[in-house]
Amino acid sequence: MFSRLMRRVGVVLALGAGTLITAAWIYARAAADDAYDRLLLGAAFQMSESLSVADGNLRFVLPPSAFELLGLANDDRIFYRVIDPSGATLTGYADLAAKADLSASRAAPIFGDDAYLGAPVRTVTVSHAMSMPEGPGWAYVVVAQTVEARHALASELTVRATMLVALMSLLAVAGTALAVRYSLRPVDDLAAALRQRDPQDLTPLTVAVPNELSPFVTSINYFIIRLDERIKLLQRYIADSAHQIRTPLTALSAQVSLIDEQRLAPEDRRHLKRVQSRTLELAGFTNQLLNHAMVIHRFDSVQLVPVSLNDVARMAFRNAVPITVDPDMIVSFEAADEDLMAMGDVLSLREAVVNVIDNALRHGAIARLEVRVRQRENFGRIEVIDDGPGIKENDWPNVISRFYSRSPDARGSSGLGFAIASEVATVLRGQLGFRKRSENEPFCVYLELPLVGGQP
Amino acid sequence: MTARIRTLALAGLAWLVPTLAGALEGESETFPATAKETGHLVIHAATDLEAMRPLLRDFQARNPNIRIDYVDYVTNDLFREARDACRAGTSEADILLSSSVDQLVRLANDGCAQRHDSPETRSVPDWANWRDEIFGFTFEPVVFVYDRRWVPSEDVPRSHDALLELLRRKPDAYRARIGTYDIQASGIGYLLAFYDSRQAPTANGRLLEALSRVETIVRCCNNEVLGELAAGRISIAYNVLGSYAYAAALANPDLRIVLPRDYALILSRGALIPAAAAHPDLGKRFLNYLLSARGRQVAKDASFFFAENAPLPVGVDGPEALMDSGIGRPIRIGPALLAAQDEIQRSTFIEDWRRHIGEHPQR
Repeated sequence: MFSRLMRRVGVVLALGAGTLITAAWIYARAAADDAYDRLLLGAAFQMSESLSVADGNLRFVLPPSAFELLGLANDDRIFYRVIDPSGATLTGYADLAAKADLSASRAAPIFGDDAYLGAPVRTVTVSHAMSMPEGPGWAYVVVAQTVEARHALASELTVRATMLVALMSLLAVAGTALAVRYSLRPVDDLAAALRQRDPQDLTPLTVAVPNELSPFVTSINYFIIRLDERIKLLQRYIADSAHQIRTPLTALSAQVSLIDEQRLAPEDRRHLKRVQSRTLELAGFTNQLLNHAMVIHRFDSVQLVPVSLNDVARMAFRNAVPITVDPDMIVSFEAADEDLMAMGDVLSLREAVVNVIDNALRHGAIARLEVRVRQRENFGRIEVIDDGPGIKENDWPNVISRFYSRSPDARGSSGLGFAIASEVATVLRGQLGFRKRSENEPFCVYLELPLVGGQP
Repeated sequence: MTARIRTLALAGLAWLVPTLAGALEGESETFPATAKETGHLVIHAATDLEAMRPLLRDFQARNPNIRIDYVDYVTNDLFREARDACRAGTSEADILLSSSVDQLVRLANDGCAQRHDSPETRSVPDWANWRDEIFGFTFEPVVFVYDRRWVPSEDVPRSHDALLELLRRKPDAYRARIGTYDIQASGIGYLLAFYDSRQAPTANGRLLEALSRVETIVRCCNNEVLGELAAGRISIAYNVLGSYAYAAALANPDLRIVLPRDYALILSRGALIPAAAAHPDLGKRFLNYLLSARGRQVAKDASFFFAENAPLPVGVDGPEALMDSGIGRPIRIGPALLAAQDEIQRSTFIEDWRRHIGEHPQR
């Protein structure tokens, strides 16, 4: 924006400066011509005044002062020609202005541009009425001067004007740059305000901006309000849906459990088993979907607060590990020594950790599951470790995308668990990570979040 | 009417004679290269060879590979030759030297000169430089010279007025004892007379009248006037270039030099490189030499004796601060000199002058 604006201003200024310099050059030429034309005319008048008639003859005494006048343009060459009433050259350069129409100067002196002896000259022709014995007649004086002094003066004036124009252009560019920067600052402020805004903050903007920008801010605020309304609508819809789906599901489960297995044929009993398992799967799936929606939409509406990772991990551990866990399985929880605080939302975080632990119990752990909280530089980590084979490295990016299942036949896997955990971590500026199983370390999935007060 | 015809006839004769004489007089000398010759410099000058010889020798000592052909003219011949060469688009000379700077200005005005810009030319004062084409390289006051054997000390004229007064007071003592230039034959004589008439028109007219009344002797050139003086045939030489006068005074201790105290014209001999010069680089090298500190020193010591920023030479009777007092009036090399070169101006002026001075028979 700034460079584009400056480029355009620069083009306009350059065009303006070009025009001004051209105009200055034209004026300088005119001024120089005007100044030196006066000298030329003065000298020509002096010469013509020196023409007199004595004893019936034309007498001419060339006044040195005329040449001194012309000599003010010291480096210029001077040519002159005095023509008597009969049209003959009395003195001077006989071939000067040979083609000119001398009689035209009777009304007023005539200036002209010509070339003489290979140099451009400015000429002036003046007439002088003489009373000769044979009758009145016109004598003429033609004075020509080379144009070096004119050009020198014109170029000096032009150079000075150019320097002024250049100075003014520089000032204009600098001023424009300052003005543009100054006037764009509110836009930057506005951008910063938008950038720094909490994602959940859907209240209208209150940044102070100049009048010119207020329509823009009004539009943004209008958009924010509509978005806010829309999200509230969506949240209501989700809450409603959750409620609507859960109730029939519960009823369905109850109905299924009421069927007397004993009275069923073995064939039908197998079908019932399948229905029961599918219903369970559906319930779990629905729960996860709702959780996912809940977690994601919670971030749009819930203010983040500092959360103790120890507490969250402990809560999740208690939630996720069923009381009826396989007695051969060794489960343990290890909190961090000091309480690690991260910005977050307890419910979402708990849900995320629950999903990770759940996944480990379902697909990973054979005989051991460990949950621990650790600090790693400015990040807090909730690690879920199991003694299973782990997930292959090239599968890592896939498992965190939605509805990806490593084993198509894995029961109860909706493929949403890691996706939810990863999205939560991302929203909280952290990440979901994996550590490969090695000789002395078992496979580990961890949720990493920036600590409060730590460097991001 | 008879007088007029006689004047014209005289004028015509006087025009013809010096032309022939000048052409014959045209002294020429070759200075062979002292080492292997690599260049050939041709100088056409209206300047006494004897005055130039020290400069030529010194220049050659520094440029031993250059042969110099020096041709000496009277000013009018030099001008005519240069103008004709310029019209034909040729030039034999690589540099022109002339005391008649108005003629050089006319040549430059007609496009017959080429520019030259060098560190040396930049040291030339403004009044002695026109268009970087003509450079004045000397500083020569115009002086009176008298022979002390003939002029008693109370008669020594120390200004133009004093000279006029002297001629009015003792016309008989100085009848045919004053000598000056023939301004028709000598370009420099004309230039000096023209400037004299401009300095003090009325007083100058009276002085001319007085000079006429005492039957002033006119001679074509400086050296002839000085020769008359040295030979004892005249007592006072009016309007002589100080440089020649000083050289003559060195040779003849009876000759004394006076710088007029009312005003003294100062001539700077001009140098010009012809536009069509065959070896303009050599001409420019010689010009640089003339304008260099070394060249000026040699000129002051051996050739022209006077210099702008130096005291007057020993034995010259003149004002202390020549330039600062305003007594020294430099003849500015510039377009104003074109007025002196106008044909009508010239013929009218010479005719007037001749009417004043030349109407008596010359001896």
